[in-house]
Amino acid sequence: MELFFNSIGFGLVTASILALAAVGLTLQFGMTNYVNFAYGDFMTLGAYLTWTLNVRLGWPFWPALLVGALLMAIPVLLISRFVLEPFAKRSGPTFHILIVTFAVSLILSNLILAIWGGDFQNFNVGEDAPVNIGPFLLSIQQLGIIGLAAVCMVAIHLLLTRTKLGKAMRAISDDKNLAAVTGIPTQRVTTIVWVLSGMLAGLAGGVLALNVSSFDPNVGVTFLFVIFAAVVFGGIGRPYGAMVGALVIGLVVEVSAVFIPSAYKLDVAFLVLVGVLLVRPDGIMSLLARG
Amino acid sequence: MPHDLNYYLATLAVYFLIYCVLTLGLNITFGMAGIFDFSYITFMAIGAYFAGVAVLPPSNVPGLQWILGLNLGFPIDLLIGALAAGVFGLLIGLVAIRRIRSDYLAMVLVAVWTITWSVTSTTIGLFNGQQGLIGVPQPFEAQLGVNPNDYVFVFIPIAAAALAILFAIAYCVERSPFGRALRATREDQDVAAAFGKRTVRLRLTAMVIGCVYAGVAGALTIEFLSAMSPNAWAIIETVIIFSALIVGGRGNVFGAVLGALLVRILIIEGTGLLPTLPDHPELIGATRNILIGLLVIVVLYFRPQGVIPERRRRYFESRKPAADPSSEVTKGG
Repeated sequence: MELFFNSIGFGLVTASILALAAVGLTLQFGMTNYVNFAYGDFMTLGAYLTWTLNVRLGWPFWPALLVGALLMAIPVLLISRFVLEPFAKRSGPTFHILIVTFAVSLILSNLILAIWGGDFQNFNVGEDAPVNIGPFLLSIQQLGIIGLAAVCMVAIHLLLTRTKLGKAMRAISDDKNLAAVTGIPTQRVTTIVWVLSGMLAGLAGGVLALNVSSFDPNVGVTFLFVIFAAVVFGGIGRPYGAMVGALVIGLVVEVSAVFIPSAYKLDVAFLVLVGVLLVRPDGIMSLLARG
Repeated sequence: MPHDLNYYLATLAVYFLIYCVLTLGLNITFGMAGIFDFSYITFMAIGAYFAGVAVLPPSNVPGLQWILGLNLGFPIDLLIGALAAGVFGLLIGLVAIRRIRSDYLAMVLVAVWTITWSVTSTTIGLFNGQQGLIGVPQPFEAQLGVNPNDYVFVFIPIAAAALAILFAIAYCVERSPFGRALRATREDQDVAAAFGKRTVRLRLTAMVIGCVYAGVAGALTIEFLSAMSPNAWAIIETVIIFSALIVGGRGNVFGAVLGALLVRILIIEGTGLLPTLPDHPELIGATRNILIGLLVIVVLYFRPQGVIPERRRRYFESRKPAADPSSEVTKGG
């Protein structure tokens, strides 16, 4: 039973990392209607920016993470404005954009390799004693991850429901052309969402790397399909669906580790991904939306 | 010519021949049928591993473990590798190739790569884990007893023969009614279905054929190099094969071959001639991949059809001489 509760605690941690990543990916999809296959490398970049501030400049981890995520705005702005959007704006072949995001992934991952090298790195976070919270046994860092994700999710909820920008985002996600005719500056909103998506990727990458304790340039890419599973579970383009998907996938993955060797636990997410696509490609949330 | 240069050029020729098999296969799956097979390199690996364990004896040394170990010779191992890749592709295709958005299909296939890669790397008993298969006997190595340095000249005809057969098949597929149907499903699945084409079956067939090509390329790779490990099939390898096909020109066999020449030989070998920095051994590979990524973006922007464009086929030329020249592929699979 203790093992089970512990796995639920780890599940909440994984769900938190997933939620940050999945909401970032799905918000951007809602604006642009294509999947960004370079997202895993955005996360890796966030992890390395955080690492540079944390280890090279000696900052404490959490400020380094936040500033690293803010710095993500620069590369993401450049990539979306000068590489992806020119392709997206074309009326011609729409599928090129998927290949282009893959090419961006190739470029980014190798830039990271060239700048930071291929060795495994660790954050400088000092001793971390586990604490008992109710039935769960978690480290202070893991509690920090859960707290960060909770704050971000509430902030995104407020953004979507209480602000003009959030309303514009939802309108574009529902129907881009209709939003444009009603005078919403779709281009500007899309750019802002790209930056937001990049920052969430940065946060997610940083905490993912913190949680796996030592990481290399592949850290984001090998986690990418788990994010896909969470996003598709909730219905791609739906931020609340992504949050639910993250919670479900996070718990399923960690609880499954009780029954199968933990080296294979992430693979369970693949079964969920395929299962959802077979049964309900619009995501499980579409059941609720109709009812 | 000095022997070293001969050897280098001969090795290069083998790499080129094998890469042509890869691009020709992807040309059928992606170029003709429009399927985003982002796990393409996985099927190359499956072909390589199964060809490897078909040739290797059963494993009995601790620390070196693999399944099967059939002790078979060439070319049975190559056929086993191709078959295994085809069967694996069929299983994946049965799940993935449905009437779902093309980016969903691409996401599933990326996941397929991740899973296969991580399971292969972590499970020692499958294909010897992270270390991979090593010491795989080369075809006719024992019978001929040639000097290892001269073996490459034995392998060139083997790879050339395999490529010749596969090129001929790809050439015929491109000009066959089947190829035409594939292009029709690529352009618009609904229209193709309305004309009585069974689009899911067509696309599944195209995916399996591509996987078999990848399997043959993998089998040739392990036969030539005697080794295969997870490091050799990172996901970026798939991107590089896509790049080769896009740069060369997708949808036609000559574009696929040209792409292999431009990307595999010109860029990959060309950057290999750059001076290495002793402190940064990974810099050359990184530069090369960044160049390939930039190249594919530039080509897709300025010349999306590639260097050798697919021939636009016109069927009602007498009635409609001014067929729309600007119509391009509009829908991915």
